[in-house]
Amino acid sequence: MESSTEEKVVAVILVGGPTKGTRFRPLSLNIPKPLFPIAGQPMVHHPISACKRIPNLAQVYLVGFYEEREFALYVSAISNELKVPVRYLREDKPHGSAGGLYHFRNLIMEDNPSHIFLLNCDVCCSFPLPEMLEAHRKYGGIGTLLVIKVSPESASQFGELVADPVTNELLHYTEKPETFVSDRINCGVYVFTPEIFTAIRDVSSQRNDTATLRRVSSYEALQPATRIPADFVRLDQDILSPLAGKKQLYTYETMDFWEQIKSPGMSLRCSELYLSQFRLTSPHILASGDGTKSAIVIGDVYIHPSAKVHPTAKIGPNVSISANARVGPGVRLISCIILDDVEIMENAVVTNAIVGWKSSIGRWSRVQAEGVYNSKLGVTILGDSVAVEDEVVVTSSIVLPNKTLNVSVQDEIIL
Amino acid sequence: MKALILVGGFGTRLRPLTLSLPKPLVDFANKPMILHQIEALKAVGVDEVVLTVNYQAEVMLNFLKDVEAKLEIKITCSRETEPMGTAGPLALARDKLVDGSGEPFFVLNSDVISEYPFKEMIEFHKAHGGEASIMVTKVDEPSKYGVVVMEETTGKVEKFVEKPKLYVGNKINAGIYLLNPSVVDKIELRPTSIEKETFPKIAAAQGLYAMVLPGFWMDIGQPRDYITGLRLYLDSLRKKCPAKLTTGPDIVGNVLVDETAKIGEGCLIGPDVAIGPGCVVESGVRLSRCTVMPGARIKKHACVSSSIIGWHSTVGQWARIENMTILGEDVHVRDEIYSNGGVVLPHKEIKSNILMPGIVM
Repeated sequence: MESSTEEKVVAVILVGGPTKGTRFRPLSLNIPKPLFPIAGQPMVHHPISACKRIPNLAQVYLVGFYEEREFALYVSAISNELKVPVRYLREDKPHGSAGGLYHFRNLIMEDNPSHIFLLNCDVCCSFPLPEMLEAHRKYGGIGTLLVIKVSPESASQFGELVADPVTNELLHYTEKPETFVSDRINCGVYVFTPEIFTAIRDVSSQRNDTATLRRVSSYEALQPATRIPADFVRLDQDILSPLAGKKQLYTYETMDFWEQIKSPGMSLRCSELYLSQFRLTSPHILASGDGTKSAIVIGDVYIHPSAKVHPTAKIGPNVSISANARVGPGVRLISCIILDDVEIMENAVVTNAIVGWKSSIGRWSRVQAEGVYNSKLGVTILGDSVAVEDEVVVTSSIVLPNKTLNVSVQDEIIL
Repeated sequence: MKALILVGGFGTRLRPLTLSLPKPLVDFANKPMILHQIEALKAVGVDEVVLTVNYQAEVMLNFLKDVEAKLEIKITCSRETEPMGTAGPLALARDKLVDGSGEPFFVLNSDVISEYPFKEMIEFHKAHGGEASIMVTKVDEPSKYGVVVMEETTGKVEKFVEKPKLYVGNKINAGIYLLNPSVVDKIELRPTSIEKETFPKIAAAQGLYAMVLPGFWMDIGQPRDYITGLRLYLDSLRKKCPAKLTTGPDIVGNVLVDETAKIGEGCLIGPDVAIGPGCVVESGVRLSRCTVMPGARIKKHACVSSSIIGWHSTVGQWARIENMTILGEDVHVRDEIYSNGGVVLPHKEIKSNILMPGIVM
């Protein structure tokens, strides 16, 4: 018998902090990475929105070590918009992916949830959370991981795991191995029962004991301390690896897309993935037009309602245009993210690029790159308030905020 | 009065344009290169022009029949069966040049454009009474060329120095001569260099005089100089005959648009642009420092600078063509493509970006 108090679910989304995610610069110089827009919505919106589909969702917690004020506005807005209670919890210091969960266990357990979802904010996927929960209930373990099959060459960048093909039990887990272990990897999305807190606490106390033992040897006390603090618990190495093969952890495989948003270029790729997902789940969000009353739209395109796009422009595929942007006559946008308040003047072309807030793109100018998402200069990035003057060509370059380009550049990083 | 235009060879430096037409027939400022010279010669009373060619003479002759009729000037070709250098062709054409009248004849290098001050040259030649007159032009880097060392006041030439290592002077041979028929006697019928063999002989006999060419000068035998040459030519046209230039709200600087060309709305054309007969420039296009050959089409919102667009080619919508891109005849650049210095041979379609200068066969 289902009682509403017994079957509540809480979701925790790890958002990191300013010292993490430096690979996301220069876009993260002015905005926390979790709030960077992907497919027209802040990055963290997508997992939060997915959480809404979980039956009996009681609360969503964002856990990270950014200043509270950076998330205050966003959290109250998204709570209203999605009608889901969302709250930001600030860690006083990094506790690791499992440690953060443990640190706030009292708050999380307040609603007596039967299950707790843990998601990483910079994961881009279809978040099949209700399906994961159902599978987890059947398995009866303390946790279920979302996994995906990738190419053997790329697997070593992630946590590789082996699962039993019949029972789906997690048999073996290793993080970023040097040799090939498996082509199934950890997606960074988990569902746990409250017993996970016991498991984390056990790891913590084990560490404390070892620490006490260590203090006995004065020789060791003199060694440089790279000892991990007792309350820094990493989910992958400290929980998943040891518990693998003990009939405690299970896997749920997704056949949909999965990417990590680590670099600015990947945000363009993930924008593309989410936009194509909108086409299936909520096509009314996407823009359309045939050049008569509004601009020609090709493929999946998001245009914020307050943005102004001239009817003679041609937009798409894979374009996101944010609030108050102005796209002039005869402009061509392909595979790009145009952030708030950007002005793009007549006949300019932007392709494979991210144009930062308040930037301006001159007439007949061209901002381009080859579109290799995880290569350093594969997507051209303009920081905020960059001015590209008329007829200038910017190719495969990164331009930091507040620069004016009056000559063409190629393959450069402009500080 | 007669003139000889040294047309010579294959025009390889101006490929891919010269893969479609012999160089003298390649348009410059909306007119075949050689026509600029023939018109200027006609204006000073030349009634017969001899072209020395060793390549595609039939193509030349066909074109020239029209010119003969229109300008009422006689044009003949002198066929070189082997390259004759810069003086040999004169001996080859002796029968046509030496008619017993004793009148001097012009010799022009077909790659040269200038204001062609032929009238002044005739007066200069009569005044000094020497056997040969040569135009010289001042350049910044004389060591790249052959320097003419001369007496400043009279213009009497002392000697020629090829690519001098030390500075001997800053005037070089501009490729325009006015010669008495007696000069032809001094040239043997074999490959000969006029600068190395003929002129030094005449200079030693105190018979060679040099006049400094007033106005601009350019050897437009290669694309970069072709583009610079257009700027100089249009500049000169503005001073001499500004009515020939096109004006309008979408025009900036010196621009020449043939009357049969069409230009759309919201464009920005210029400076230093020539748009040939039958061209179509659609709306929202930006053109600067470029030549659009007859029959070419530039589609909407495209941007072309410092480039040459070949005959009947198309540049796609939102394409960006720049930095010495040369499109040969019938080249089609797809929409949104970027070309940075691509050199594209005729009858090709460009479907992917050209990020660095290079040749597309």
